[in-house]
Amino acid sequence: MVLASRGRRLLATAIDAVLVPSLSLLLVMATGVVEDAEDYADFWWITHVLLLAVTSYILLNGYSLWRTQQTLGKRILGIAMVDAAGGPVAWWRLILLRAPFFALMFLIVVPPVALLPLVDHLCIFGKKRRCLHDRVAGTCVVRIGAR
Amino acid sequence: MVARTIAAVVLACASSAALAVPHCEGTAAEPDVSRFLARSWGVDERNTRYQPQSTLSSANAAGLELAWVYGLASDTPRSLPLVSEDTVFVGDGPRGLVALDRANGCERWMFPHDGSISSAIVPAQTAERPMLVFNDRTRGIFAVDARSGTPIWRTGTDDQPLAWYSGTSLPIGDTLYAPISSMEVALAMNPFYGCCTTRGGVAAFDLATGARRWFLPTITEAPKRTGSHWFFVDEYGPSGAAVWGAPSFDATRQWLYFGTGQNYSHPTTATSDAIFAVDAATGAVQWQRQFTANDAYTAACNNIELNHPNCPKPTGPDVDFGAPTLLVTSPSGRQLLIAGQKSAEVHAMDPATGDVVWSKRLGRGGIIGGVHWGMAANESLGLLFVPISDKEIDGFPAPGTPAPGLYALDIETGEQRWVYTRPSRCDETECVFGLSAAVSAANDVVVMGSIDGMLEVLHAPSGKLLWAHDAWRDYDAVNGVATRGGAFDAHGAFLADDMLVVVAGYGYVGRQRGGNALLVFRVPAADE
Repeated sequence: MVLASRGRRLLATAIDAVLVPSLSLLLVMATGVVEDAEDYADFWWITHVLLLAVTSYILLNGYSLWRTQQTLGKRILGIAMVDAAGGPVAWWRLILLRAPFFALMFLIVVPPVALLPLVDHLCIFGKKRRCLHDRVAGTCVVRIGAR
Repeated sequence: MVARTIAAVVLACASSAALAVPHCEGTAAEPDVSRFLARSWGVDERNTRYQPQSTLSSANAAGLELAWVYGLASDTPRSLPLVSEDTVFVGDGPRGLVALDRANGCERWMFPHDGSISSAIVPAQTAERPMLVFNDRTRGIFAVDARSGTPIWRTGTDDQPLAWYSGTSLPIGDTLYAPISSMEVALAMNPFYGCCTTRGGVAAFDLATGARRWFLPTITEAPKRTGSHWFFVDEYGPSGAAVWGAPSFDATRQWLYFGTGQNYSHPTTATSDAIFAVDAATGAVQWQRQFTANDAYTAACNNIELNHPNCPKPTGPDVDFGAPTLLVTSPSGRQLLIAGQKSAEVHAMDPATGDVVWSKRLGRGGIIGGVHWGMAANESLGLLFVPISDKEIDGFPAPGTPAPGLYALDIETGEQRWVYTRPSRCDETECVFGLSAAVSAANDVVVMGSIDGMLEVLHAPSGKLLWAHDAWRDYDAVNGVATRGGAFDAHGAFLADDMLVVVAGYGYVGRQRGGNALLVFRVPAADE
């Protein structure tokens, strides 16, 4: 099991960080959750936007996460997620434990919360190259051909 | 003009030389509310901003001394204090409403409020008790017992989901009249927002209970879908025509007068940038006069080059009537309704018909004025005092030459008697000289605070500078809070007996210098 390089991981994240929010914004517009004055009478619109972000993540990556433990970005870069023993990761762990971290990136404009995605990704510089979301979901990321 | 700046700075230094503020050791007593030194935002219900109960005059202005300073809990305080016989009431940012001992700034009581008080504190009286009424910009209108700070009621309008309660309410008899604006002007900055569906208005509430009696929208036509952008986001209109300022009251006719802002989207209406006269009992419109047509603008236009989808095209100049109207009597006995516009124009009207008696343009105007927060009048001198901001906001064009300053106009004719202006203190945005804050008058003086942090007292008949205080400094506050002054903006100064009370600091619109200082100056006694 060869750990994926930090460069490949960051590039894969960058690809996902473009694709997922793009779909999220499309869904936000199509569903109109922030379009009407009534939406801003309370703060539920924030929850709605976050749920759409998770939905976008699942729509784009759900199938390949289930089949090959890859997001689109990871698929392009030839890397995949495995559990600590090198085996496949249960899809529900990927959806329930990893995906919410992606939605947090939408809150990067909220100063105290913005630190969380930053801390999450800085953890990759640790010895085991595991981001915070890897630790929470019990995963690590490896090169596919070298598995 | 250079001499005036030097004079202002020299006077400011002299007035602060003996700055010695006592530290508060606490006080606990019920306020004496047998006398309040204002009835409304405009001191009287006609909004003259003239304080008959002030001892400040040209004879003693040079002796004004800082008595005490209170450190507020907000860097952009937006509350006009109210003074009673022995107490200063003021909104203290997210802390709530505080009642401070007038002598030393010690706290008598506090009404905790998780929000931000954004209006003047206004006294009101019901059969049961003396009350204080104030607004939280987004959460509504609140009434508390003036003696204890105990909450009595909270109210608002359910006519629209995003009402803003920016302007101060006016209590008359058993009714409270509240200007209503809308958050949509700012929300439009979100490009996924379907701009715009809300409208301004005035609401009348029962003073004893807060129950709504009537609501007069400034746009009666329901908004319709007018188009879309980015395939999915629908656009609506008409909208806007918010009411930002406190209404003025005509006791003879039993009418209210107020001005409106621009439209937020197209189609525009005949009720934007207009003056209304309405029956106070029913809200029935008596007359209405528009001064600028086809003015459509939202905050999405603040960087015009972005071509933001929620910036209405064609884009208007955003020249609201943000400042309250004044109902005044000229020396010849003629009654006039006077309205100042962000276009830097001042209009005098016949209050019975709305017919224009005179109009005067004093500067180039802009998003924060022209006339922004409020004018004042000294009826015995026959003078109207008009503060002009003319500050340019980066990203939005402001054609023409700025002419900031305080203008004294003949109430009868609109002729200019004098103007006080001076250069900016430096080239930075926060240093730009301009008068956005409302001004106040008493006896033969007028008090103005400038965006660049100078508080100045002028001789009303001549415009001569009598006294100045530079608020760009740290203060030693009686409540131990780290305190610094900043821009003078928003509601301006409150004059009461021998006191001049003013908030220094406002970092909201216009990138001015924030601050949190509640400054209380005292006029020396006659024998000092």
